[in-house]
Amino acid sequence: MEKKYTVKKTNPAAWIVCIILAVVWSVIAVVPFIFMALNSFKDKFEMLVKGVFQLPETLNWANYQEVLAGNFFRYLMNSLVVLVVALVILLFISACAAYPLSRFKFKLNAPIYSLIVACMSIPMHITLIPVFKMTQKMGLYDSIWSLIGPYVAFAVPISVFILTAFMKGIPVEIEESASIDGCNRYRMFFSMILPLSTPGLSTLAIYNGVTMWNEFSFAYTLTQSPTSRTLPLAVWDFQGQYSMNTPMIMAVLTLTVLPMIILYIILQDKLVKGMTAGAVKG
Amino acid sequence: MKKKKLIALGLVAVMAASLAACGSSDSSSSDDSSSSSGSSDSDKVITFWNIGVENPDALIMQYAVDQYNQNDSAESGYTIETTSIQNDKYKEKLVIAMSSGECPDMYTSWSGGPLREYIDSGYAQPITDLYKEAGLDQIYMEAAAAQATFDGELYGVPMLNISISGVFYNKDLFDKYNLEEPTTISELEEVCDTLVANGVTPFALGNSSKWQGSMFYQGLATRYAGLDDFRAAYDGSGSFEADCFIYAGDKILEWAEKGYFQEGCNGVSTDDGQDRQALYQEKAAMLYSGSWFTGTLSADSEEFYSHMGWFPFPECDEVDNGAEYANICNGTVGDQFISFNCTDEKLKEAFKCVTYYSTDDCISLMVENGKIPPVNNAADLVSDPLAVEICEYVENATDVQLWYDQYLPTAVANAHLDNSQLLFTQETTSEEVAAATQKAMADYLADK
Amino acid sequence: MENNSLAQKRKKSVAICATVFLIPVFFFLIVYIFYPIIDTFIISTYKWNGISADKTFIGLANWKTLLTDKTFWTAFKHNLIIMVCSIVIQIPIGLLLATFLDFISKKKVLSKVFKTVWFLPYLMSSVAIGFLFTYALAANGGIISTVSGWFGGGNVDLLGNPKTALLTVILIIAWQFIPFYMVYAMAGYSGISTDVYEAALIDGATRWQYFWKVALPLLKPTLIAGAILSLVGSLKYFDLIYVMTGGGPGTSTELMATYMYKLSFSQFNMGYGSAVAGGMFILITAVALVANKLLNRGGED
Repeated sequence: MEKKYTVKKTNPAAWIVCIILAVVWSVIAVVPFIFMALNSFKDKFEMLVKGVFQLPETLNWANYQEVLAGNFFRYLMNSLVVLVVALVILLFISACAAYPLSRFKFKLNAPIYSLIVACMSIPMHITLIPVFKMTQKMGLYDSIWSLIGPYVAFAVPISVFILTAFMKGIPVEIEESASIDGCNRYRMFFSMILPLSTPGLSTLAIYNGVTMWNEFSFAYTLTQSPTSRTLPLAVWDFQGQYSMNTPMIMAVLTLTVLPMIILYIILQDKLVKGMTAGAVKG
Repeated sequence: MKKKKLIALGLVAVMAASLAACGSSDSSSSDDSSSSSGSSDSDKVITFWNIGVENPDALIMQYAVDQYNQNDSAESGYTIETTSIQNDKYKEKLVIAMSSGECPDMYTSWSGGPLREYIDSGYAQPITDLYKEAGLDQIYMEAAAAQATFDGELYGVPMLNISISGVFYNKDLFDKYNLEEPTTISELEEVCDTLVANGVTPFALGNSSKWQGSMFYQGLATRYAGLDDFRAAYDGSGSFEADCFIYAGDKILEWAEKGYFQEGCNGVSTDDGQDRQALYQEKAAMLYSGSWFTGTLSADSEEFYSHMGWFPFPECDEVDNGAEYANICNGTVGDQFISFNCTDEKLKEAFKCVTYYSTDDCISLMVENGKIPPVNNAADLVSDPLAVEICEYVENATDVQLWYDQYLPTAVANAHLDNSQLLFTQETTSEEVAAATQKAMADYLADK
Repeated sequence: MENNSLAQKRKKSVAICATVFLIPVFFFLIVYIFYPIIDTFIISTYKWNGISADKTFIGLANWKTLLTDKTFWTAFKHNLIIMVCSIVIQIPIGLLLATFLDFISKKKVLSKVFKTVWFLPYLMSSVAIGFLFTYALAANGGIISTVSGWFGGGNVDLLGNPKTALLTVILIIAWQFIPFYMVYAMAGYSGISTDVYEAALIDGATRWQYFWKVALPLLKPTLIAGAILSLVGSLKYFDLIYVMTGGGPGTSTELMATYMYKLSFSQFNMGYGSAVAGGMFILITAVALVANKLLNRGGED
């Protein structure tokens, strides 16, 4: 009841301004996306003559039919497998690492933390050759499993960094009360810290999920046959030496985004305010 | 914890050392296996990398491979395995593979500076004799083989396309304003002035990737002084500050000033087709590009393509030898050259596969798909009128110069591209461009 | 004595526990990051074209060249510009969006719609962004030029002009990354308990006051971490620049990463390219550590 009362206190004019701004921002955010989708329905020549920002003459599904008739589902499966496996490993080991770094006092804490954070500064392209050599040696070349290692490794620094910051924000009292109950550190991690870190983990899942989903360089360096390619390489089928079939590429990209939107809608619930608060109270 | 850190560091060092050792031993072992023609299965696989990811190129590149695997595999025991990688990423992946001792047995390249590096690093075998034995020298144009010849030895089979520069123009627009194909640069300027006066941009140009503008620079320099100055600058006896380069720079500046080029051309992307869009929307009347454009245009719209005309970059009427220089082609006669990184029997078999590209069936497959194969009778094979014109021009050519950006060592090419691009928005001077290119060339030669 | 050994035992158990928790991460880091970076530093002491079996050891010559390489330092300057602009643009707007979503979190449907729509830019691939924005920004017929035409202005060439190209790309990068900072700030808000929010409102605070006096101080650590992320990301940025401008016009948008990439993979100068990569690594780490220290010190005051 009180809440409703306070909502009325907000100045209606300010409220309207806020809503208008929100709508304006929505337009800025969504318009390129819509044009990506719209162009995927055009014929190649139509797009060039009429321009990119005209509506398509008809909703021409031929592009989608052609894309789906190719290797698309194979690429999709590969991408999904890589994404799920890499994300699970990443989130788990990053949380493991962030826990001692955020809550333990030990001599090497600061140096180790700095070392991991320094790893964020590595330009990814310089690692292509060493990673390629290693992958060859491990016998993983041209298989989707070769991608898991680099994807996890390159996401680790940022993830540990964010999770450490996040876990520092979890009140110390929780741990103290739990340790009185006789919880050891390992149990405390699994039963208290990990669940309380859900918003941080969801943020990371979204951030790294999108990065891995769109990752291109390792994908083409470490795989070669079409059966082990991931979705970002699907655009290759429509990219020639001197020109590309843009509407077809837009169709591929639109289809590529859809699974990510679904993932995001699922995960965004985990970011809802009050979850932590409730857990803390409990 | 300190111990652990030390152990970790030690581990890293050991791994680094062992992997480095592996890298070098890998490369030597692969050389051994190919020369000793071992019996294991992997030695009987010939790996072939190319950029044919989309049709029709995918279809064409696969043709010879399929033929070989069907007709010859059983007898020789070798099979060919192709890997197609998209153009932009191809060179990078090739560098990574070579650097790790995993260079494919056959690969396509654009010849020029990069092929020179591959040869110098031992990744391309001379094939002069094989080429003659197979009679390919009778089939392919001499100019084509010349572009993959280094120090008297041939290192690549030219097989795909004649891609020389020329001007594509909209015949309807020319008719509308009573214009004719210009044969001299002054006539071209008159044509451009008329178009500008009528609110039509003379040249569609997508120069964000820089090499489209470089074609103007090369075209102008070649028409002004032939190729001697360029070749002298290339081998160090001359300079990129020679008159012909200053002329090229000044002309581009002048034309940019007069509005001959598509507005904002340095932000316009040719891959996305923004330059073609200007042509299709009749905002622009001409496009100076390579002859692969016949395929690109006809794939976009046969109807529109039938309204296009073509003429070679016109003669420079300011110099005495202009007429002579007008018969020099700029571009590539071959477009894709196949090089070999294997020896003895494997090389023979790999080469046999490549000979399928010169069979009548494969040539007609190329022609059907808008290619102009670099063969001697190309003009008789093609039916499309523009392609015929292009073939005839190439057959009468006195000399061919590969694109600057592919011919020059890449460091010099980049200096040339970065600097000449700014001419199109008048943000530099011809002298600055010349000096910067010359400095890069001098640095390169000094380093060698 | 007794106490001391107990404390030591405790210390030891903490150390063991920390080791157990850190081992998996270090496994990945050693294999995929430490080894390549060491390799890079080793290669940087060679003159090597990247593909040949022969390398010539030249000691620190590449590093000496790097110190006076104008292109590299110009690229670093461009990176710094991107860094400052990114932090100043992306984080405040991201925070603003998250704050708005926090205020309307009671209106489930509305907030869900905004949350999803606002997130879309982050999902688009660089290829699509590059394509659509080069068309939207075309000097002749692009959206900006058309709008400028309505107000009687001439055509605007943003990407083809060396003076505006970098700023234009920065705005597009911001457009792409703001959603991430929005989600990031949302996670920060989720850490503020509802009690705090309700207590503040009951005390008669307006939303405005709540934001400045209560939420912002609580979000400070989150925002600092976000700033560090943005900083590191900007200093090693590659994607859209490579897709949209390739470093041009001229070298007006050349970045350290694009320069390193060209040297290593297209100019056959892997030795020097590695020195550039090493230089990048040192510069970025230094800037990040200094910034981390400064920001966190500021936070404590």
